[in-house]
Amino acid sequence: MLLSAREVTRSFGSFVALAGASLDVGEGEIVGLIGPNGAGKSTFFNCVAGDVPPTSGRIVFSDVDVTHASASAHARLGIGRTFQVPATFEEMSILDNVMVGAFLRHHHRGEARAAALDVIEFTGLKALAQAPAKSLGTPGRKRLEIARVLATEPKLLLLDEALAGLTPGEIQDAIALVRRIHAKGVTIVIVEHIMEVILTLAERVLVFNQGLTIASGKPREVVNDPAVIEAYLGRRHARDPGAHAP
Amino acid sequence: MILVGVVLAAFFLLYPWLLADDFYGRMGADVLLAAIGASAWNILGGYAGQISVGHAVFFGIGAYLPLLAFTHLGLPPVAGVPLAIVISLGVAVVIGLPTFRLHGHYFSMATIAVAELIRISISNWDYVGAATGLMGPAVSRTWLDLSFRSPIPYYYLFLAVLACLLLLTWHLQRSRMGYYWRAIRAGERPARSLGVPVSRYKLYALLLSAAFTSLAGSLYSLMVGYIDPESGFGILRSVEMIIIAALGGAGTLFGPLLGAVILIPLQTGTNSLFGGGGSGLTYILYGGIIVVLARFEPGGLLDLWRRTSQRWSRWREKAAVGHAA
Repeated sequence: MLLSAREVTRSFGSFVALAGASLDVGEGEIVGLIGPNGAGKSTFFNCVAGDVPPTSGRIVFSDVDVTHASASAHARLGIGRTFQVPATFEEMSILDNVMVGAFLRHHHRGEARAAALDVIEFTGLKALAQAPAKSLGTPGRKRLEIARVLATEPKLLLLDEALAGLTPGEIQDAIALVRRIHAKGVTIVIVEHIMEVILTLAERVLVFNQGLTIASGKPREVVNDPAVIEAYLGRRHARDPGAHAP
Repeated sequence: MILVGVVLAAFFLLYPWLLADDFYGRMGADVLLAAIGASAWNILGGYAGQISVGHAVFFGIGAYLPLLAFTHLGLPPVAGVPLAIVISLGVAVVIGLPTFRLHGHYFSMATIAVAELIRISISNWDYVGAATGLMGPAVSRTWLDLSFRSPIPYYYLFLAVLACLLLLTWHLQRSRMGYYWRAIRAGERPARSLGVPVSRYKLYALLLSAAFTSLAGSLYSLMVGYIDPESGFGILRSVEMIIIAALGGAGTLFGPLLGAVILIPLQTGTNSLFGGGGSGLTYILYGGIIVVLARFEPGGLLDLWRRTSQRWSRWREKAAVGHAA
């Protein structure tokens, strides 16, 4: 197992955002995390990324216990993540944004620059390399976030709604990009609201509801699971899954 | 671009000969000293984006130690300079570790509080001269006292220090350190996610910034030969560094120097114009600059220049295309 999260919980004060979620991800997999708003996906995601320490539970990555490791240590170990709301470095150029990521593995400016340019080419941002990040629209920013984290050469890539807010055409481009990243041997965990994305990309899906994982399996099977339909649409629809399958 | 650099370098090297009297020589030295202080602040406040309003602490330590070495041990003031840097680094660690947990305005407010606390303590501590302050050697005993009647030697000493500081900053801004600082300024959370050890790099910025601010303080007291709590540790000292850096452009290499070239003559002018009674005008000037910068040009003058020249070149391109058609 590349990543193994066991019974991860997280409370904010008396509010339990995550009541014990487990996830195993093997090398080379694409795993989707879905669930209604407030289900605990993002909290779980942030625990795995090292952004929020879990209240209890244990997370192991490549045989290293990372439960309480810092976010930067996660990056060094090979866990990369994007943000739900793009957090690009606005005043810096696209190349400089990606170079910040590249400096993790390449300490010299020349090498970091070369590595960053490779990633920029790979993600299709080459024409804009010198433009400031703030000149990009939402699709460009999401793409830049992916480029920046790829420059850290992650083994596991966590995508937090990297495709939300895109037009159907842009979504197809983004799906193609994720496929190419996967083809390079990067394991991917993706949080996504858009079913189409999960159905086309993920080999395995984990469904969250109220801080717990309520189902897991192949995407097509999971979306017809009555418990999942109930979580999304309420009990009435769950009794008649054929009519309202999402 | 290279031509502009050569002309400017020649100007700074020849300046004492161009305006060969003590008033302008002293003003030139003041400009360079202010540029050193603001460039030192710029490392932490500009590049790494941690707006310290307490840098007077390091300036004050730098200014007091040489005169303490002279007053109590009879040493040449310059002997206190390395010790001042060591103490400043120690103080930087002690202040930095707790205050870096604070963000934005809260960090700035904490640095003000620490600086004021130290200023008040110094004002009441007899060993360091309390409210009256300390004097340097009245007449130069040996050349080691670095006590010159003419401002010209100070001018060149300051120029050399500034050149070293800017060269170091230039090198760092192109290296991993500089990229990590800018990433921290732009957003600590995404910076961390890319593997930037945020606290460690903030501390590096603070240490470097503190060492050179301390050096600026030492150079000040070497030249002026006198220090008191207000001119060493006063909040105006910190504010001056910030305003000079912000006026030229915080987070740019030459912004602080540009800010000093504009602000110091302006300050000297208002002070001499109104005699002793005009010293309060400095505060009004600072206040005005803060308001204008915050409202219209948060990027400073270099940013304004960059945008204007871009607009010009676009306009010229358009005009050229228009003529061709």
